[in-house]
Amino acid sequence: MNRFLLLIFLSASFDLLNLNILADDQAISINRRQQDSGIQFFEDSVRPVLLEHCYECHSLETKQEGGLALDSKHGLLAGGDHGPALIPGDAAKSLIIQAVRHSDDLAMPPDNKLSDSQIAALEKWVTLGAPDPRTQRPDSDKFERATKHWAFQPLGNPQPMVLVDKSWPQSEVDRYVLAKLVEEGLRPSPPADPATLIRRVTIDLIGLPPSPEEIAAFCKDPSPDAYEAVIDRLLRSPQYGERWGRHWLDLARYADSSGFHNDLDRPYAWKYRDYVIRSFNEDKPYSQFVAEQLAGDEVGWADEASLIATGFCRNGPSNDDNMGKTAEAIQQYRADQLDDVISTVSTVFLGVTIGCARCHDHKTEPFTAKDYYGLFAIFNGSEPFGTIPGKKAKSDKAAEIDPLSQMHALVERTSQVPVTYVMRRGIAANRGAEVEPAVPAVLTLKPAPFPVPAPEAKSSLRRLTLAEWITAPSNPLAWRVLANRVWQHHFGNGIVNTPSNFGFTGAAPTHPELLDYLAVQLIQNGGRLKPLHKQLLMSATYRQSSRASAIGNQQDPKNRFLWKMNLRRMEAEVVRDSILATSGKLNLEMGGPGIKPRLRPDLIPSSQRNKWPTVKLENEKHWRRSVYIYSKRQLLMPILELFDAPATTDSCAARNESVVPTQALVLMNDEFVEEQAGYLAQRVIREVGDDDDKAIERMVLLTLAHRLDDAKMDEAREFVRLRQTDSDRISALTDFAHVLFNSSEFIHVQ
Amino acid sequence: MNNLLTRKTFLQRCGVGFGGLALQALLERDNLLSRDADNSKPLAPRAPHFAPKAKAVIFLFMYGGPSHIDLFDPKPVLTRWHGQAIPAWKAEDAFMGSKTKNVAMASPYQFVRHGEAGIEMAEVFPNLARHADTLCVIRSMHAESNNHGPALFQMNSGAILAGRPSMGSWITYGLGSECDDLPSFVVLLDHQGAPVNGALNWSNGFMPSAYQGVPFRGSGEPIAYLSPPKHITPQRQRGRLDLLKNWNEDFAASYPEESGLDARINAYELAFRMQMSAADCIDLNRESQAVHSAYGLDEKVTAHFGRNCLLARRLVERGVRFVQLYSGGNEGPKAWDAHDDLKANHDLHCQETDRPIAALLDDLKSRGLLDTTLVVWGGEFGRSPVAENGKGRDHHPKGFTMWLAGGGIKGGMVYGATDEFGYEAVENRVSVPDLHATILHQLGLDHERLTYQHTGRDYRLTDVSGKVVKPILA
Repeated sequence: MNRFLLLIFLSASFDLLNLNILADDQAISINRRQQDSGIQFFEDSVRPVLLEHCYECHSLETKQEGGLALDSKHGLLAGGDHGPALIPGDAAKSLIIQAVRHSDDLAMPPDNKLSDSQIAALEKWVTLGAPDPRTQRPDSDKFERATKHWAFQPLGNPQPMVLVDKSWPQSEVDRYVLAKLVEEGLRPSPPADPATLIRRVTIDLIGLPPSPEEIAAFCKDPSPDAYEAVIDRLLRSPQYGERWGRHWLDLARYADSSGFHNDLDRPYAWKYRDYVIRSFNEDKPYSQFVAEQLAGDEVGWADEASLIATGFCRNGPSNDDNMGKTAEAIQQYRADQLDDVISTVSTVFLGVTIGCARCHDHKTEPFTAKDYYGLFAIFNGSEPFGTIPGKKAKSDKAAEIDPLSQMHALVERTSQVPVTYVMRRGIAANRGAEVEPAVPAVLTLKPAPFPVPAPEAKSSLRRLTLAEWITAPSNPLAWRVLANRVWQHHFGNGIVNTPSNFGFTGAAPTHPELLDYLAVQLIQNGGRLKPLHKQLLMSATYRQSSRASAIGNQQDPKNRFLWKMNLRRMEAEVVRDSILATSGKLNLEMGGPGIKPRLRPDLIPSSQRNKWPTVKLENEKHWRRSVYIYSKRQLLMPILELFDAPATTDSCAARNESVVPTQALVLMNDEFVEEQAGYLAQRVIREVGDDDDKAIERMVLLTLAHRLDDAKMDEAREFVRLRQTDSDRISALTDFAHVLFNSSEFIHVQ
Repeated sequence: MNNLLTRKTFLQRCGVGFGGLALQALLERDNLLSRDADNSKPLAPRAPHFAPKAKAVIFLFMYGGPSHIDLFDPKPVLTRWHGQAIPAWKAEDAFMGSKTKNVAMASPYQFVRHGEAGIEMAEVFPNLARHADTLCVIRSMHAESNNHGPALFQMNSGAILAGRPSMGSWITYGLGSECDDLPSFVVLLDHQGAPVNGALNWSNGFMPSAYQGVPFRGSGEPIAYLSPPKHITPQRQRGRLDLLKNWNEDFAASYPEESGLDARINAYELAFRMQMSAADCIDLNRESQAVHSAYGLDEKVTAHFGRNCLLARRLVERGVRFVQLYSGGNEGPKAWDAHDDLKANHDLHCQETDRPIAALLDDLKSRGLLDTTLVVWGGEFGRSPVAENGKGRDHHPKGFTMWLAGGGIKGGMVYGATDEFGYEAVENRVSVPDLHATILHQLGLDHERLTYQHTGRDYRLTDVSGKVVKPILA
């Protein structure tokens, strides 16, 4: 009722305003009358033509053929691939008129020419100055909506939750989770048993199973203090960086070869991988981590390590020298390369899909092409630095003298960055308006201050400015995105289930206050992750059992509200590393150039370039952690690829957990699994001697981290006994080990 | 949304009966399935958008770029202009800038009209010529790159850049798999090895790995990891799998809500069956001697490609959806990449493929499979009307030929045209996305509705373009 009254009031006052203008200023009123008649003409003779003959291919509602939308004044004036569609007042020079006359190549509508009277009407309208009442951009509600979109709002100051049930929560995190559970009529699950918990937390933090001794010790004393000590030990372990660094490498689309045509070796790309692992182990503040990867050459502390970090900007696939030789082709290729950087930077750090605004304003998100090219301008002065893949260093001696040349990095050499233009339709030669370096308009709660550098300066500092803007405590997006990623890897799903898309098309947060609370915690911890890990892992939420309850399954089958822990399939690397860890063959050597384990010889010819070597028998130099396996874009290790390791062509925010028969084939039949099963059998024989029961128990403890119940033990004993009737003991135990490596329980974390 | 997802899960657990299909079609129409395919059953059959003409595609990929003007698109004017500059040619059209000059080169081959339709084909296809009235020859193809890598990407995935799912992945994603015990998207490589880009040519891109192409070999082990190391006897393997099944069932029983665990049990059974079915599929001893010689298996020059063509028929017969056969591997003379000597190159590759392809078409026809199998022939681009190094031809994407046969395509038809020099497609131009849209259409898929959401955007095989080439549909 009130709203209705308000509307009436508003329209009444608007009329009054009009009357005032008419009374006060005769000139304006004449203009207005002319305009009114122009608009009437538009409504009578122009809009119906556009509607009937043009909108099908040229409107924001349908599609924008040639990048052109005719359903707004803005769209006509901004134009498409060929430039502005009209010049008000000049019919002859206006593209839209040339097109409807079918006088040139550009003949529109292509099949059915408009009638002469329709063409004449359009001509008259343009000559009149193209009066157009459609001043409101059809997509302007998108920008309106952006001002209210949850992810772009400042971080809240979440108040501590007041709860009736005070028995369950162990931490602030639990209070948020419990409040939601109560709201949804759900109850938390009981805690997981100690053996399950220590396996879960160990795999979670370091990507390897706990040793039998660690399990025994924790089961003897599962007190909160003992649990906390386990977490502290794991967070101090250098394997933590290998595990959590791998999550980052997914985002960074890291690989050791260029992909494309030649799949050239990138001989020093691994230095970036080691930089990431080291940064996680050092618990580097996030602001520093981001600044080094985007602007390692511009930071105040620039050194070899920070330069290596800029490899982030060059990890994408590349096809240098191979995309054509004309100036146009070279320019287009460079734009494609920068597109990879812009898309990656905006999804990884900001959780927005601004890459889609390359060709035209984003269809669904509040980003314009101008926003896109504002980011383009930030990177437009940068160039590759270090050894060019495929090109040999002039001499090894020179390389020895200058370790700086042995990297895969990006720098700026002068502050005089070329001018950036909008590229219509994403085509470099299709030059539009000039743009300044800028961060996306809807995200600028606090605009980034791009400096005007001195002409003699070595760098424009644009990338550093961007990095500092991204991680400023006042920028909520980066911290929400980061907090969500940490949550996602601990719990299986993010609070926002589209971890690199916090825009309109992304998922809404299940626990918005909790997410803000965690983001604030991150900022207060100086952008360090380890305190956040600990806080999450100490929560009762994390320590719940993963077994389902009937009521939970019924009310929240996807477990969005965390009434239990999620059962998770191990990531590809964890499967392989766990096999090696339990067989006793895992080589924990860290860092250095990528390793190339054995591939079946018949797979090798499927990539003729930068060929994989033939390995007959694997040895300890191959048995290192999977994060060190050479990532060759044309030929990924099948055991990793089949278990959903990312394809590395673009940033991967969340891996699949697919189930396909070829997964079963590789675990059943790969020599690697067969050999490691043999090594596990040998290991337990060495450790426990002749007793089959003890051998079985030890194997199960190593792989599954618990003891078998009586029925299972009988089954295992019978299996091993029967196998020994037609082969030897080691084969029998190898068979049992092989079954364990293939078991669902082994490759899942409960 | 929740409600729908539950219905979908229910549906997928129940398998797909007729009612299931109908509901699935409804969900598909609402674009729900395509945005959120169930990870545990990525290959479950899905209803097409509309009634399909074809069930399977065999893509005969002449890698390296066969010469349109020497095989299917005769240009007598080149003989008259031999040795002279042609007006339209630009220096930047050359890929091999230092060797390719603006000097027209006459074709070394004679053209003959074949069939009732009188389709012109070069003399190097004596067997294929029999099928002139089955082929729809598109002379107006054009592509965007004059370099193998990007051009291969475009022909396979629509985009000249790496990272998009290939056509076989899109089709598998759109329709699921018809056969349980073989991969749905199979790649058969030339004996010379893989083309450039390697496995990225049949990559699933940003889709789940279940949709990637699986290289299939005609001898030894057809699929990687299909059989255990030699010393593991079948009996020993079965023993392991029996215990594994028990234990996996127990584990699944403690998580009844996790459909992925049941899927995993099935995957092992399927993998075990695949060992038999894949081995059975490549066992060509089951084919008669007549079939062997028809495909040219008894002659060295045709044996390899012939074997792959016969395998393609056996795969399609078993329900495989998309089979891609490469003729030519590695690069240069080992592929159709005739830089140095066009005649020597094309003599060889035509001889390698002519008889096997003709036999494949005969065989599909006689088994009634050609009606539902779309056969596509072509490379990533054509070749330049001007000479490279005197008697070779350079890469050329501005106009080239591909042909289609079967699968609801009109036979005995020539569609589109290049200009008088074969330089550029000028009449009824067909882009690569147009071709893709047409292939999807024959399979009952609308290229504008077959979308996959990735980083906030609905991607299509045809991206923002592509029109079904309606005049060639039967």
